[in-house]
Amino acid sequence: MAQSPVRPPGVSEDSFQAALKAFAAIVGPEWVLVSEEDRHTYLDAFAPGNPDEHAASAAVAPKSAEEVQAIVKAANRYRIPLWPVSTGRNLAYGGSAPVLRGSVVLDLKRMNRVLEIDEELGYALVEPGVSFFDLFEALQAAGGKLWISTPAPGWGSVIGNALEHGLGYTPYGVHADTICGMEIVLPSGELVRTGMGAVQGTREWQIFKYGYGPVWDGLFTQSNFGVVTKMGVWLMPQPEAVAYVLVSLPNVDDLPVMVDTLRPLRLNDTINATYTITNPFRSIVDGFSAQGKSRADIYKGPGSIPLEVVTRELAAAGRGIWNATFNLFDRDKGLDLRLAAIQEAFAPVPGAKIQTRRWQRGQPFEQWMRVQPGLFALGIVDWYGGPGGHMNFAPVVAPIGRRVADLYDSIYKRFVEYGIDYYCGLLNVGPRALLVNAVMFFNRDDADLIRRGRELYRVLAQEGAAAGYGDYRAHISFMDAAADMYNYNGHALRALNERVKDALDPHGILAPGKQGIWPQGSRGNRGRT
Amino acid sequence: MRALLALALLSAAGGAQAAEPVLSAQEQQGKRVFDHICVYCHGPGVWGTNRLARRYDKDHALLESRTDLSAQAVRTIVRVGLGSMPPMRRTEVSDADLDAVAAYLTRKSR
Repeated sequence: MAQSPVRPPGVSEDSFQAALKAFAAIVGPEWVLVSEEDRHTYLDAFAPGNPDEHAASAAVAPKSAEEVQAIVKAANRYRIPLWPVSTGRNLAYGGSAPVLRGSVVLDLKRMNRVLEIDEELGYALVEPGVSFFDLFEALQAAGGKLWISTPAPGWGSVIGNALEHGLGYTPYGVHADTICGMEIVLPSGELVRTGMGAVQGTREWQIFKYGYGPVWDGLFTQSNFGVVTKMGVWLMPQPEAVAYVLVSLPNVDDLPVMVDTLRPLRLNDTINATYTITNPFRSIVDGFSAQGKSRADIYKGPGSIPLEVVTRELAAAGRGIWNATFNLFDRDKGLDLRLAAIQEAFAPVPGAKIQTRRWQRGQPFEQWMRVQPGLFALGIVDWYGGPGGHMNFAPVVAPIGRRVADLYDSIYKRFVEYGIDYYCGLLNVGPRALLVNAVMFFNRDDADLIRRGRELYRVLAQEGAAAGYGDYRAHISFMDAAADMYNYNGHALRALNERVKDALDPHGILAPGKQGIWPQGSRGNRGRT
Repeated sequence: MRALLALALLSAAGGAQAAEPVLSAQEQQGKRVFDHICVYCHGPGVWGTNRLARRYDKDHALLESRTDLSAQAVRTIVRVGLGSMPPMRRTEVSDADLDAVAAYLTRKSR
C-alpha cells in the first residue's frame, strides 16, 4: 500500500498502518485510497487558502452499512478520526475535506442505491451516494410522477444536502423538513433506525416522522453523532402547472418594500416555494456567468465594484435594481389566482414590474423551472477570472423589511471596507426566515484576496452575533467561528452538544470539529482552523 | 439529462440526426459515463464548454467534437482537475469508467 505523508494527530505510525490494513480487510484494498493522486482528489477544490490545512491522510470507501459498522469499530480500536462524506461535493463548505487535518475520509459515494420509490405515497429511500442527478434519473425512469427539489448544483447528495440544511426551489425546498426516517451507524458501530423504522419489519418507515418517543432525526443533521446510511425523503407529486415570476423594483433603497410585500404572500402560501431576492450586483453576475463572462468584462478597478457601475450595467440590460424570482406550483387556474394576488400586492409599489412564464404538464422542462438538476450555477466561481472559489456568510433574519435592510447594509459596508464585490442573495427558508447569503468570491491564486475574505468572514461573524444573528452553515475553516455566534448563556448549546458527543463517541472518532463540536481529548483544536 | 436534451435538439432539427460512426463497446460505456457525469459542464452551452470557448475557440469548446485530445490528458485532467474543474475521485469515476470516457472522447483524435 502506498504511504501517506499525512497522519491523524496523535496516532502512531504502527496504529495508522494497522488501521489501514483493517480497513482494507473490510472493503478490499482497492477502496483504501492512500496514493498521492487519490489524496489530492479529497482536498478542498475551492479552498480559501492552502488546502493542505485540511488534508486527509487517506480515504476508505465502503459499499454497505455493514461495512460502515466494521470501519467505525476498527477506527475506535486504532483511534482514527473519520470524516464521512456522501458525494463529497459540498463545495464552498469544504468539499470532501475534513476539519481536522489527517482525518481519514469515510467516502460513502459507492453506496449509491435508490432503494425504493413510492409514487403513491410520494417518497424515496436512498443511500448517501445518491446525487440529485441519480434520483432525478431514477424518478423519471419510474414514470416521472414525483419531482425532486434540487439545490443549485445537482451533483450533491440528496442525504448530504438535507443533513447540511440545504435548500431547493420548490414547495419541498427546505430539505431537512423532507427527511422521514433514517438508518444510522452510531460511533460505537451499532445500527439504529429512527421513527417508525424502529419497528422490526415495518412498511411505515417513510410516512411518519415521529414514531414513539423523542424524535432523533434532527440530531444527525449538521452534527457528528452518527453516519446516516439510509434516509427517507419526501417528494412532491408532479404538479399540473408551474409559473415563473420575476418581480423587479427600480430603486437602490427598494429592498425593504420588496421584503415586506413578499412576506404575507409567502406566509399565506400564495407564493408556495422558495423565493430568491438578488442584490443589484448578483443580478449582473448571474447573467454574466451563463455567458462565460467575468469581472474584467465590466470593471478592472481595485476594491469592491462601485454601485454606479452595477446600476449602469443593469439599466443597459433593461433590468431592475432589486429582482426577486420564484416559481409557483398549482393547477393552471390556481396559478391564475396566485398571480393575480401577487400583481395586486405589488400594484401600489412604485415602478414594480412583474414578468411571468408558464409551463403545463406534457411540455418539455425548461431551465427556469429548476426541476432538472444541473451545474449551471457553478460558473459564478470564476467571477474574478478563476480558478475560483467562494466563501459564504449567511445569517438568518426575519423577513421584516427594515431589519433585513439594516443587516444587509451592515454586511455591505464591510464588503466595501475589505474591497470585495458584494454578491448577495436573500432566500427564504420557510415563510418566517430569510438567509442573507453574502458570498465572497476569490481566485485561488490570489493570496491577498483570500486573506481579506477570511478576515471579512470573522468580522461579519463577530458583528452578526453581537446584533443577535447566527450563520446557518459554514465552511470547514469557519466551523468554530460560526459556532461561536451561538453564544447564549456561555455557549450552553455547544456544551450540551459536546456532552452528547462524549456520551455517543467517547473516543472522538467521528468528524471531530464538525459544526464546532469537538470531542473530549481534542478540544484543544477549537479555534485553530 | 442527455436524453431530454437530445429530444429537444431532435425536435428542433426536425428529426435530423448527425452521422456518428459505430462506437466500440468501451466507447459506448464512455458515452454513458459522459452523459451521466461530464455533460452537465461539458454539454452544449454550459459552463465548461463556455470556459473552453473563452480559453481557445468555439471549435475546441465541445469535448465530444474534439479531434486533438489524448487519452492521457483526459485521464490526468479528470483526476487532477483543471482551472475551476475539481478533481474526480475514484469513487465517482472508476478507473475503468475513466478509461472508457477517454476512449470515447479521443475516438476522433486517433
